[in-house]
Amino acid sequence: MSQRSVPSAPGSAAKAPLRERCDFARSFDSLEEIFAMARRMLDARGVGEADAYAITMAIEELFTNMVKYNASGLGRIGLEIECNDNDVVCSLTDPDSDRFDVNAMPDANVHLPVEQRRPGGLGIHLIRRMVDSIDYNYTGRRSRISFRKTLNRAWAEPSGATGNSDKNPS
Amino acid sequence: MFDISQGPEGTIVFSGRLDAAQCAKAEAFIDAAGAVQAFDFAGLEYISSAGLGVLLRRHKRLVASGGRLRLINVNSHIYDIFRFSGFDQVFDVQRAGS
Repeated sequence: MSQRSVPSAPGSAAKAPLRERCDFARSFDSLEEIFAMARRMLDARGVGEADAYAITMAIEELFTNMVKYNASGLGRIGLEIECNDNDVVCSLTDPDSDRFDVNAMPDANVHLPVEQRRPGGLGIHLIRRMVDSIDYNYTGRRSRISFRKTLNRAWAEPSGATGNSDKNPS
Repeated sequence: MFDISQGPEGTIVFSGRLDAAQCAKAEAFIDAAGAVQAFDFAGLEYISSAGLGVLLRRHKRLVASGGRLRLINVNSHIYDIFRFSGFDQVFDVQRAGS
């Protein structure tokens, strides 16, 4: 992953990016370790509660999707977290998977009557409103999903229109 | 970590993080609890889409018998999750401090 350069405010020194990578077993039981890794890094950088919530939730949603929809994949799932002054970038890598571009998934219809609502399908919908960008890369059975969360930027307000996402940075 | 227990006055008390790994535990407790007045989220720090699924399934069973899922003491982050998922219009949600 390339290092991002962050402009410094006069009189202040930008911190070096805090970067860590770890591989996890393809199981929901890995979530405890995953959260521990994320919280340790986010706390070390003083990331606020709202941002930490968004980042850990996005990691969980993407990881659990990889486990659910590719339980028989070979190898462990990699998680890389990079904490910068102004943003956090996370990547999850499945080394053995079919191609599935999360950006091609439509938003969930959250305005359906309750009798038509189904559990599931909300993970990507919620992530899109909490992070600034999601990138998908697929090469030779390897899927890599990365997202970037700008720090101290409010989550996007829900739109009244079905399937639309409004990003209104504060 | 996540914990779920019987609270006073017919409530079920949630605490910690309701993530995908904890949903089976939560659902088993809820199913065994019988009639419940409300879910108290005062100690719940986090919920993901898997946890929302647990709540939706419970809500649908309540609706079938003329009821509605009631959540109390919901923190601001979890309330935002409900707004983004449209569940603030489905469940009876009382925010913490209100």
